[in-house]
Amino acid sequence: MTELLLFNVTNGLIIGAFYVLMALGLSLILNLSGVINFAHGGFLALGGYIAFTMQPFIGFWGALLLAPVLVAVLGLLLERTMIRRLYGRDPLYSLLLTFGLAFILQDFTRYVWGANGLPFTVPAFLAAPISDQLFFVTWYRLFMVAVVAIAVGGLFLFLRYTRTGVRIRAGTLDLETVSVLGVNVGGLRAYNFALGIFLAGLAGVLASGQLSLVPNMGDSLLMPSFVAIIVGGVGSLPGTLLGGLLIGLASGLVTLFWPSAADAVIYVIMAIVLLLRPRGLLGEEGMLG
Amino acid sequence: MKGPRLPSRRSLIKGSAAIGAIGALQLASPFIISARGEVPLRIGMIDPLSGSYAAVARSEVEGAKLGVAEVNAKGGILGRQVELLVEDSANDVGTGVQKAHKLFERDHVDVLFGDVNSAIALALAQVSSAAGKLHIVTGGHTDGITGKDCHWNVFRVCNTTYMDADAVTQVLVDKLGKKWFFLTPDYAYGHTLQAAFVKLLTKLGGTYEAALAPIGTNDYSAYLIKARASGAKVLIDLMGGGDQVVSIKQFTQFGLNKQMALGGALFELESIQALPANARTGWWTMEWYWNQPGVPHVAEFVANIRKGTGKTASARHWFGYVAVRSVQLAAERAKSVDGVKMARAMEGMTLPPDVALMPGTFGYRAGDHQLMSSVMVGEARNPPPGDNPDDLFKVTALVPGEKAALPVDESGCTLRYPA
Repeated sequence: MTELLLFNVTNGLIIGAFYVLMALGLSLILNLSGVINFAHGGFLALGGYIAFTMQPFIGFWGALLLAPVLVAVLGLLLERTMIRRLYGRDPLYSLLLTFGLAFILQDFTRYVWGANGLPFTVPAFLAAPISDQLFFVTWYRLFMVAVVAIAVGGLFLFLRYTRTGVRIRAGTLDLETVSVLGVNVGGLRAYNFALGIFLAGLAGVLASGQLSLVPNMGDSLLMPSFVAIIVGGVGSLPGTLLGGLLIGLASGLVTLFWPSAADAVIYVIMAIVLLLRPRGLLGEEGMLG
Repeated sequence: MKGPRLPSRRSLIKGSAAIGAIGALQLASPFIISARGEVPLRIGMIDPLSGSYAAVARSEVEGAKLGVAEVNAKGGILGRQVELLVEDSANDVGTGVQKAHKLFERDHVDVLFGDVNSAIALALAQVSSAAGKLHIVTGGHTDGITGKDCHWNVFRVCNTTYMDADAVTQVLVDKLGKKWFFLTPDYAYGHTLQAAFVKLLTKLGGTYEAALAPIGTNDYSAYLIKARASGAKVLIDLMGGGDQVVSIKQFTQFGLNKQMALGGALFELESIQALPANARTGWWTMEWYWNQPGVPHVAEFVANIRKGTGKTASARHWFGYVAVRSVQLAAERAKSVDGVKMARAMEGMTLPPDVALMPGTFGYRAGDHQLMSSVMVGEARNPPPGDNPDDLFKVTALVPGEKAALPVDESGCTLRYPA
């Protein structure tokens, strides 16, 4: 039993790490631009499909690097042409827009690549367990955790030590002042949006390695990522990190005892957090309030 | 329906869309309307075109479209052209029921098809029987549809879960042993399928443990951890559609394929195609397979599906096709498209070889309206180089439907026709 418990704790943290990657992208966009990006799952699937298409030519590693970049470029294009117009309005507008975009992206993917799942393969040495005992920890999953760690570390360093990063953080707290200080807020938001979509694309390529590559693959990953943000606290990236790991762990553990509640438990956690600490575990008071 | 109705704008648009789709299939010779002024016969088809079962649902629709194109090219049904109105149930019972009401009340369809999802199929059956229309369940497998929840107007093309389990259990025990672990989807289909297997396995002296996983689960490690801890020798993966793909992909990545055998009931062509080469393994059932050398009309059907869709025909294409052709046969026998008359005509009706597309003579059983097609048992495989890349299954045995199905008196079905 102790062994099973330990297994599931480890496993839950691995799942959580993946939610973190997706939630961080969402969180970046939400914090700076106030856009609740429902199309995130669509960008995620697109990342997987583009990687699948490029893989025969540039290999897994090339696809892992290039596919998220292409998805980010598309994200940038959509931000410049559509989403940008809704900044400063009621969040409901951008929510409706991205909700529609989510359907369009999904149907576009289905139109181009078909509804049937595609066999995305990862290099053989990654698709193997690290040991017979810890069979559920494959090199691929470790690699995924490593990519998440690098992405998270890189993001935090970027936000802390680069001029653009500092501006994004400042903008999260007080966009008007940043704007008054002469920063090009429009450019900053576009840059930030593309960065968030890049993370979605990256998550998509990684997810394709162990899920079925289907047009709606992002659907079931999107809600847990929103929950991670709310639990961790809107406005706080470390909070998003904590929230993602927490719900991954919780759903991993609950699956062991009561599988049919594995999905529900993350919403229960969200409800409890909202009741006892509405701003989230590490959230700023009054964000989106 | 009384007298001819003028088509509404909506049905005009739908009709032209259907015609466009048929044109895209490039099957019909120039579209000839044989009886001008006749109201077309409308078939409503509800399937989960989005969600976990999107791939198989689309195959069913493609099969039905081929059937409609062929029927229309030969003058339609009783001189009336056939229109197929397709609706997405989104894999949700409420949405499916709402679409059924729309099809009956607004579009006035004469026949209903669907749904892949067993729970939705059961709910649709209530709506269709109340509407008094013929309903063919193309691809929902749970026993109840032609068992304890059967209706006078409901016929089913795909197998019952019991038929699939019965056909394959002995093979699984012979090949893989008697200590099983079930990975079962937590809804109607999974429940009845597992119950059938358990009944058959315990009769053979086998033992089992099981885990129920919700539909749409992304991470199966917790279940697979349990499966390995149970010490079972076989994983019986009963998940459907995309869920089965994800679970088998993870089973293989965890290296469990080196410690446990793999098998189950359905492993559909669409699912095998979606898996990487090293995960295409195990003993399963197919309800229809495209590579049947020497069986009349099969090659022609496969070629037509490929021409229209670019895909290799799967069992789901066959389901959709059989459903349309069954309506044609029933209407011609009944000389009417009235629900009750067609249902009576379909009872005991055998399918001609160009519809059956597999060896043997079979039809819809009178007592429960279940199609008694043979179950194909075999092994998933990677085709040797040079073979068709979609030849992913080797059929080793053909179990007649009558042998695999529960007898009518044990199925729990009592048919009550409206007075």
